[in-house]
Amino acid sequence: MAKSLEIQDLWVSHDGKMILKGVNLSLPLGEVHALMGPNGAGKSTLGKVIAGDQAYTVERGRVLLNGEDITGLEPDERARKGLFLAFQYPLEVPGVSIANFLRLALKERLGRDVPVTEFYARLQEGLKTLEWDEEVLGRYLNEGFSGGEKKRNEILQLLVLRPQVAILDETDSGLDIDALKVVARGVNSMRGPEFSALVITHYQRLLNYIVPDVVHVMMDGRVVKTGGPELALELEARGYDWLKEEVAHAGGS
Amino acid sequence: MTEKALLFNPDQISKARSEPLWLEEARKGAYEVFRAVPWPSKKTEAWRYSAGRLKAVPFDLPLEEPRGQSYGREALPEWVQSRISSADFSAFLVFKGADLVYAEVPEELTEKGLRFLSLHQALKAYPELVEAHLYKAIPARQKGDANDKLPALNAAIWNHGVFVYVPDGLQLEAPIGVLREIEAGVLSVGRTLVVLGENARLSYVEEHYSPDLERPSVNLAMTELILGAGASLVHANVQSWGDNVHHLYRQRALLARDASLKDLTVNLGASFARSEVGSELAGPGADSEMLGIYFADGDQHLDHYTLQHHVAPHARSDVYYKGVAKDRGNIIYQGLIQLEPAAQKTDAYQTNRNLLLSREARAESVPQLEIAANDVRCSHGSSIAPIDSEQRFYLQSRGISRLAAENLLVAAFLEDVLGRIRLENLARYLAGAIEQKVGLEV
Ligand SMILES: Nc1ncnc2c1ncn2[C@@H]1O[C@H](COP(=O)(O)OP(=O)(O)OP(=O)(O)O)[C@@H](O)[C@H]1O
Ligand SMILES: [Mg+2]
Repeated sequence: MAKSLEIQDLWVSHDGKMILKGVNLSLPLGEVHALMGPNGAGKSTLGKVIAGDQAYTVERGRVLLNGEDITGLEPDERARKGLFLAFQYPLEVPGVSIANFLRLALKERLGRDVPVTEFYARLQEGLKTLEWDEEVLGRYLNEGFSGGEKKRNEILQLLVLRPQVAILDETDSGLDIDALKVVARGVNSMRGPEFSALVITHYQRLLNYIVPDVVHVMMDGRVVKTGGPELALELEARGYDWLKEEVAHAGGS
Repeated sequence: MTEKALLFNPDQISKARSEPLWLEEARKGAYEVFRAVPWPSKKTEAWRYSAGRLKAVPFDLPLEEPRGQSYGREALPEWVQSRISSADFSAFLVFKGADLVYAEVPEELTEKGLRFLSLHQALKAYPELVEAHLYKAIPARQKGDANDKLPALNAAIWNHGVFVYVPDGLQLEAPIGVLREIEAGVLSVGRTLVVLGENARLSYVEEHYSPDLERPSVNLAMTELILGAGASLVHANVQSWGDNVHHLYRQRALLARDASLKDLTVNLGASFARSEVGSELAGPGADSEMLGIYFADGDQHLDHYTLQHHVAPHARSDVYYKGVAKDRGNIIYQGLIQLEPAAQKTDAYQTNRNLLLSREARAESVPQLEIAANDVRCSHGSSIAPIDSEQRFYLQSRGISRLAAENLLVAAFLEDVLGRIRLENLARYLAGAIEQKVGLEV
């Protein structure tokens, strides 16, 4: 099957400290994978490096998007090729209204001018899916938003930009169950043979609504285990310690 | 440069134009001050970041003289055409060099009492009005230290300028404007006098533009704003000179009781610009809001000095200056809030924020308070920060190019200043001009 996203032996450092230590992961087109792991494992770093964050240094390895090596590309070039990262901590950008920002982003994504009607049609659809009031569009990007509103706004951007590969970094954290359902509905509306997603989460809860095809577990900068949806249930029940031991044994033998 | 090169003869300027005696005397007095006081040096506090640049200003260029040119409306330079088509001026003057080349002042406004003409025309037509106000906000004979060097030179040898007078009670809503283009290879010395009578109201925009010049020019300009009791003035000075222009500007506003000034200083052009903008709150209840926007790229050096001089009690002043620098640009802000002993119940605020778009860009920010009254509210704040790389990454991660992302962030940074200008057309024009400075093709 076509691999829409493929990470090969990725080593990444920040300020001289190695954070990712040989990540391998492949995400075929049309699938949704979950990425789990304890705090500090490197999940967000992986997401940001895939998106092209230049705060990190790629020491070794490659990121392939639809078979193309994108490791050296600017973040915006990756986005125009269909990549999307929903941030764990979306930035506040006072002075930039959501509407202006999204219109510019959509123009870049489609590589052409976007008529106002087409733009608003996409927006309205997204707002409706997320049960969100239009009033939000005039607000500055994430400024003064609650944690939940910020997450919802990430999904609104996802729905308007319609990427091919989305990485959702803890989009569920800070959401109550109703908001979680709304956000999951948004993501599920994107699911299909032309869309794949890597869903980073700590909680099984989200995976009840966005059911993954595959679950990866990351620890200390590596993917240490890959399995089916049942792996998430097992982690929920048993925590990570048993896996740590398993990894230690495997490393020792 | 040597003082020798600066042997002007202010008498000749007066005689050649058959100016009134009081003006001839004032010029002479100013010239004495000019000869007596030293040039600003690094030791001159207000000039500490620009004394070196000042040394390199070629003051020994020939004085820009009127040549008696005048244009039809169709023959006006393209930039003027484009500005007047979008600026919605109810009246405007166009200067090329020292010549007033075109004037459009509807009779209806003149009948209401608006006087809007060149300063030399005004000296002939309304001599008492000019005499009563000229040199009142920026005296010809200053007390005499290095800071008075340039004002004295201007007072002595200015030879072109603008006069605006709005009589008591006349309230004009639509802005009036002056558009001026400098010539290459000259020392241009101009003066603007704006007088508002009691409860008069006016919006006045000055725009300065030139292409990049092959030979350097110096623009030494002073603007006096005199606001009668209850008068209300919106004033903008927009400097968009090309490369090779040295721009030296001082503005002083005198605010009587309950007068209100909303001022905007914009420095986008010139190789070296120095703007000193001050308000004297002379009457209780006066209110001076002073906004500033500046953006240096290439090797531009843009220096700003503001003065909030509170003389009367119960007055308010608020300085809000924001600067951007990219490439090797240099931006400087110094400001002083000065409260006299009588200035009780003053509200005075001063904020300066700077955004740097490159590693080589430099900014200085020095707010200062000098307070001789005790029952007052004063605050100041300043910051210098590079563009937020996380914000930029966030925007880029949505497909927006690095340049466009920086553009959005610069526009966002300046948004609140632009939003406070009461001149919508101007705000829109400036937003576009700033976009071009960031580097996005528009
Ligand atoms: N920008 C950064 N500056 C300093 N340290 C960083 C930075 N980014 C990541 N790290 C470090 O790298 C390690 C991995 O961090 P990362 O945020 O990727 O973990 P995570 O798996 O997303 O954790 P969480 O589940 O808590 O979100 C941590 O030790 C973290 O402190
Ligand atoms: Mg994380």
